[in-house]
Amino acid sequence: MAETQLLFRKAEVPEHVPPENVIDFDLFAQPSADTDFFEYWKRLQAPGVPDFVWTPCNGGHWIATRGEDIHTIYADHDRFSSRNILLPAERNEAIRVLPTSLDPPEHRPFRSLINHALSPKVVRGLEPSIRELTVSLIEGFRQRGHCEFASEFAELLPISLFLKMVNLPVEDRLKLKALSEQVNRPDGSMTPEEVNQGFYDYLMPVLLERRANPGDDIFSQFLAGSIDGRPMTDAEAFELCMQVLIAGLDTVVSVLGFLMMFLARNAEHRQLLVDDPARIPPAVKEFLRRFPLVAIPRTVIHDMEFQGVRFKEGDLILVPTMLHGLDDRAYQCPLEVDFERRIGIHSTFGAGVHRCPGSLLARAELRIFLEEWLSRIPRFDIEPGRTPKVLYGIVGTVVDLPLVWQV
Amino acid sequence: MVKLIVIDAEGAEHVLDAEPGRSVMKAATDELLPGIMGECGGCLSCATCHGYVDEAWLSRLDPPGEEELDMLSCAVDVEPNSRLTCQIEMSEALDGLVIRLPAAQF
Ligand code: HEM
Repeated sequence: MAETQLLFRKAEVPEHVPPENVIDFDLFAQPSADTDFFEYWKRLQAPGVPDFVWTPCNGGHWIATRGEDIHTIYADHDRFSSRNILLPAERNEAIRVLPTSLDPPEHRPFRSLINHALSPKVVRGLEPSIRELTVSLIEGFRQRGHCEFASEFAELLPISLFLKMVNLPVEDRLKLKALSEQVNRPDGSMTPEEVNQGFYDYLMPVLLERRANPGDDIFSQFLAGSIDGRPMTDAEAFELCMQVLIAGLDTVVSVLGFLMMFLARNAEHRQLLVDDPARIPPAVKEFLRRFPLVAIPRTVIHDMEFQGVRFKEGDLILVPTMLHGLDDRAYQCPLEVDFERRIGIHSTFGAGVHRCPGSLLARAELRIFLEEWLSRIPRFDIEPGRTPKVLYGIVGTVVDLPLVWQV
Repeated sequence: MVKLIVIDAEGAEHVLDAEPGRSVMKAATDELLPGIMGECGGCLSCATCHGYVDEAWLSRLDPPGEEELDMLSCAVDVEPNSRLTCQIEMSEALDGLVIRLPAAQF
């Protein structure tokens, strides 16, 4: 299996880590094209693999491999801090984002601003524009009988919508996408400092301009927000807006890619949704359980024993959301897609105070997309002879998905 | 256990047994009741456990706090008897509480 070269240093195994818990797992490795993204992550749940493993890759860190622990760790900010949300840890010195890297109580005032910006009310108001944009993108290529789904649809819908919400020109999406990718899937072409500077050079002039001439966009709302009674500083506004950009640009895209790859290959599932669009809302729930793709670390706050494992203050634990919805301890036959499944707790959007504030927007986009696509292009396949391309990292994503259909 | 009656937007009545101390949102989502989400798990950051408190019960509840009111303003179809149900804790005094769900959470 051809794997890319290591981008970041390997660490020595610390004394408190038992040898039987050590494995070699590189979050940023890019396995060969025929590997299934979810099965790749699920190897961490293979028989005999401990519930917590430790890898020397990317500076050395634990990985929580089981759903219940994953949920607990996301939700328990008293024992697991968010102060490092990137691996390896030194990248957090160059790239600082709010409110993701703050623990309570400092987290709350920033989060409150985001809650309002992405609220149920706001998302409901956005529905008509989501639908309009979805239809116009699909109609742009429908008669042609083929498209490259990632670049011609998945990357355009969430990004165009989001750039509209923050009132930035849609043309800037490639630049912002490229920078976001270096945060979530660094390839060694830019240092973390260069990535941060790239965002800074782009965002800071925009924010200063909005501070002077506020509009009704999300960034202006943030700038007007109060942080425990004082105005937000420019540096805070930058880190907050950068986080919202990265999170908004690089996630729905990925879920869209994985679910279309699935529907292209599974005609029966597709037909169920075409025949009865009322199945689409439960299908969106099931897809979100089945296609989780974010893996973020937490930092252990105090020496402690957790689930029989000894953790030391400062230990990093990677908490892959992938491994909750796909855990057979939580869901029977987890790799099967079943629109009738009773779906309880999973961690696709995280848990606790940092739980994704964009989840309603994401759900609305996925539902509207399926409604509009399946009524227009009910049957489609992956172009024969082509293999879709998937990228691994903090957020997994599909970058090449050539689809064909009869016109 | 105390009784919690949740009436969904279609008018169907769901009678749930709730443990005193458990929130209405948790009691309902434990049963995977449709029509209520509770996305954030009860930390007051999503407004998707919105419900209407039956008028007969309104006076028996503690009034909503500041953070709840702030998040409630994010919900859709808010009425004077609207609450975020993660903030209503079941108790003996609330045995038989009736909550109606909105047509949609977002
Ligand atoms: C299906 C798509 C999405 C997935 C799977 C997803 C996943 C996640 C996860 C797992 C977290 C938790 C991070 C942590 O605990 O450290 C998170 C946080 C966040 N997400 Fe999403 N997300 C999605 C869509 C979105 C969208 C569309 C937006 C914005 C427009 C967004 C904005 C955010 C923000 C701002 C945070 C940080 C919240 C905080 O730290 O309090 N997300 N997301």
